[in-house]
Amino acid sequence: MKNFYNFKIENIKNLSLEEKNSRKKNLDLFFQNGFPNKKSEDWKFTDLNSILGKNFNNIVNKNLIPEDKRLKAIEEFEHNFIFIVDGKLISSCFDYEDKNNVIVNDYNYKDEIKSDTKNSLTLLNNALATGGFALEVSKNYKFRKPLVVYSYFSKNLNESIINNKNLIILNDDAELTLINYTDDDNKDNFMTNITDKIIIKKKASLKNVFINHCRCNGYFYRLIKSDLEEGSSFDNYLLTSGLKFNKLDIEINHNKKNSRSSIFSALNLLGLEHQEIKTRINHNAPNCQSYQKIKNVLNDQSKGVYQGKIFVKNIAQKTDAYQLSKALILDNESEFDAKPELEIYADDVKCSHGSTSGSIDFDSLHYLKSRGIPKNEALKMLINGFLNEVLETLSDNKLKFFLLEKLENQINGN
Amino acid sequence: MLNIKNLEATIDNKHILKGLNLDIKPGEVHAIMGPNGSGKSTLANVLSGKNGYNIKGDINFDGKNLSELSTEERAQKGMFLAFQYPLEIPGVNTNIFLKTSLNAVRKAKGEKELDTLTFLKLIKEKASELGIEEKFLSRQLNVGFSGGEKKKNEILQMKLLQPKLSILDETDSGLDIDALRIVADGVNSYKNKDNAFLIITHYQRLLDYIKPDFIHVLSNGKIVKTGNADLGIELEKTGYLNLT
Repeated sequence: MKNFYNFKIENIKNLSLEEKNSRKKNLDLFFQNGFPNKKSEDWKFTDLNSILGKNFNNIVNKNLIPEDKRLKAIEEFEHNFIFIVDGKLISSCFDYEDKNNVIVNDYNYKDEIKSDTKNSLTLLNNALATGGFALEVSKNYKFRKPLVVYSYFSKNLNESIINNKNLIILNDDAELTLINYTDDDNKDNFMTNITDKIIIKKKASLKNVFINHCRCNGYFYRLIKSDLEEGSSFDNYLLTSGLKFNKLDIEINHNKKNSRSSIFSALNLLGLEHQEIKTRINHNAPNCQSYQKIKNVLNDQSKGVYQGKIFVKNIAQKTDAYQLSKALILDNESEFDAKPELEIYADDVKCSHGSTSGSIDFDSLHYLKSRGIPKNEALKMLINGFLNEVLETLSDNKLKFFLLEKLENQINGN
Repeated sequence: MLNIKNLEATIDNKHILKGLNLDIKPGEVHAIMGPNGSGKSTLANVLSGKNGYNIKGDINFDGKNLSELSTEERAQKGMFLAFQYPLEIPGVNTNIFLKTSLNAVRKAKGEKELDTLTFLKLIKEKASELGIEEKFLSRQLNVGFSGGEKKKNEILQMKLLQPKLSILDETDSGLDIDALRIVADGVNSYKNKDNAFLIITHYQRLLDYIKPDFIHVLSNGKIVKTGNADLGIELEKTGYLNLT
């Protein structure tokens, strides 16, 4: 295959010699293997190298200067925000909060950058990342309103890659609802490679929502690594329909006892979309709970993938881990691949997994039609009914109604 | 209103309806009785436009050739089927379903669609007539409903959509005596000179409450006997065996 990328550390401005060297080391390691392909177990159903090779001529890491964009704020509920363009922190607003308890800054690259990973996209991210943010919430501080992270993209991103890192730290007993909101209908051919590091300390609680508002042609990869301390909780809601290519790679480490996590996903894939959710839940401590419910609707030659692994360490007794994947496949050209995995070294645990895929229930469709509801509308009602269940556990009603409405828009193809 | 001539229906190479004739006029209540496997539910399915049947013969509904209408168009033009087994549809809120249904039918008739407030007022009124508690309407459609609740929900939909022809497929099955009375009252209060009913049933029981003008006995895919309300009482005594 022809070489379809050309990455240079020199394109990143203002680096110290030390930084340059450590980035160079990561880039060299990336070049050894290039983008991951289907030979790698983690990319078995998503051959990224060939997907990018088919769609790009020469991806480069430009020194991007974010365009002056206007933020279109969500009106449905009051919220704080962080405003990101091309991965760079532009502004933030915490008017609803006590500002002494929230710190947000540009991500600090000075003390990072190791190269001890096999994930070649992480190596690439280590080499090329710029921008991003670091957010820290003080001990005992509970956010009064949700925090929305708005992501926009400049025009003229064709053939470019955006790499950045974000860091989120919730100190003991802190609470936050974070909504990652991509609101951009960019039709450029570009790629993003984001690494999030999330640290949830003792009894702290984070709700993390990913929602996509428009249809966008970018190729998105995001690695979310999280460490959970004693009694903490981490809930994820993934509603990222509308992206041409998207892979969310979520690692949750239950490092201390009594922590709990969940991942709920509702995707309605249309028009050649390819989305993968890969999860790895590491139960490294006893008495932790993890719960995953992944729902996909596939139509219009789309492809969905779920690779979910639950790992239970020998000391992680009384682990309660659950994963379920359900897919509705609406046409013959769409595809769904699921690979649920359990790896258990403790003997007193409760772990279950399941995966089903099928077509729409024609009796249900007939029932709705027999009440005068046109076929297309009836179909959408059934799809919506299938997917919206994943939002049931959200206790914030305003947010829930907002997400239900967005989900409905996604189902309507908007 | 409904005129069926020589209707034949086949599914999976099984010949089920074998030349059925039926004529229903406005204001009439017809009952179809018959043993298991005689084709009663097939008739309901065929009339509602369910896929999978190979059909011969003519069905005329309110001046239109039924075979040219999709399931939703049949409903929009005033045909209603109360299902023998109403489907449970997870994730679909009953109120939203009812509103979507009513507005689809209204839109097709060229009437103004109802806004949420007007709809809620209307549905509250109709539900209370049938003794349906409001909380049911905010639940998922038929999910976890008892047999009786599902059947009451069917009658609620009928009263909401105000069809010209209502086909009740084994609506009495799974009903206790109180629910049966409520369902029957629902039908009787809706009955008028302009609409018609086709009641498909195994037993005389429902017909004690909803008095039919005609009873037809369906056996082996054909109507073998037609009579007035007394025929049902007679069948209850003698069974279907003599008629087949």
